[in-house]
Amino acid sequence: MASPETDRSATEKEAELGAWLRQRGSVLIGYSGGVDSTYLAVVAREALGRDAVLAVLGRSASVPAEQARSAEAIAHANDIPLRLVDTGEVQDPRYAANPVNRCYFCKSVLWEVLVPLARESGIATVVDGTNADDVGEYRPGAKAARENGVDSPLADVGLTKAEIRVLSRERGLPTWSQPSAPCLASRIPYGSEVTTERLAQIDRAEAALRELGITGDLRVRHHDDVARIELEPALIDYWLEPANARQLVDSVRSAGYRRVTVDLRGFRSGSLNVLEGVVAG
Amino acid sequence: MNESLDQRLRDEGFAYRTEVRDRLVILVPRETADLARDQRLHLTRIALGEGFTHVAVELDPEGAALPRD
Repeated sequence: MASPETDRSATEKEAELGAWLRQRGSVLIGYSGGVDSTYLAVVAREALGRDAVLAVLGRSASVPAEQARSAEAIAHANDIPLRLVDTGEVQDPRYAANPVNRCYFCKSVLWEVLVPLARESGIATVVDGTNADDVGEYRPGAKAARENGVDSPLADVGLTKAEIRVLSRERGLPTWSQPSAPCLASRIPYGSEVTTERLAQIDRAEAALRELGITGDLRVRHHDDVARIELEPALIDYWLEPANARQLVDSVRSAGYRRVTVDLRGFRSGSLNVLEGVVAG
Repeated sequence: MNESLDQRLRDEGFAYRTEVRDRLVILVPRETADLARDQRLHLTRIALGEGFTHVAVELDPEGAALPRD
């Protein structure tokens, strides 16, 4: 697969990534078990060996429970050394107030834990899974990474999300087709407080919907007593049929929501950024 | 509610009331929602035309009628 602007294939970029990593010698990876950081961790493990790689998973109420379990399992299956750290960003009032740059405070907390950890562990470089597509998007968390000297090798070598998925599939990684999984706070409109209880409620609602067999991108947007379900557009009409809608209602109410709605346009990445006017709709 | 949107929905024969939350409009049907695809797309176009960025339909209108607290 060739990248039109450079004519470099994904395989060539992967080779560059290996060289980039070997030049650093050792890396601590901010790891989530998602498509990008899993791929990066696997390539780093291969390029540097087990003793020169440490993946660190931040645990907090904003990470879906199933995602954390999956991240641990993937690291174990690929023999990637993994450390779990509690980040506790919800206790930071600047984060809990849920401003439009909430991600900045979350990532600041994360890197302020991980950068010293790297130093204590004798690891030269701290990296994240930012890819080439992420650059230029509205991502206040990226500022925190820059301020803490965190590198983004996937972006540096120009690997896009699509290329990372292809390379992940070639490696047999289960994450290759995994939907994007931003933190649960992304379901709460800016300005509405982020609390542990709300995050747990969202997590329960989404888990209950997954149990109905809903696959692909799925979000439960939190509007106080109203849950707004965003499904992949191709699934909307099926789930609006009355008998199926009843299942949605029962599942989401079991998580503590009184009112259950379905977004008629379906899933949109960064949907609340549009609602709040942070980006154009 | 949004009077302009409410009127438009009535004119088009949709039995919904509207609830506005910023640029999100929730369409609350008189009875359980049962939208065919073309109706869904048409409702969406109407709401977007009124300046909303998000359109959602209440699945169980009885839930919307309960006291908020």
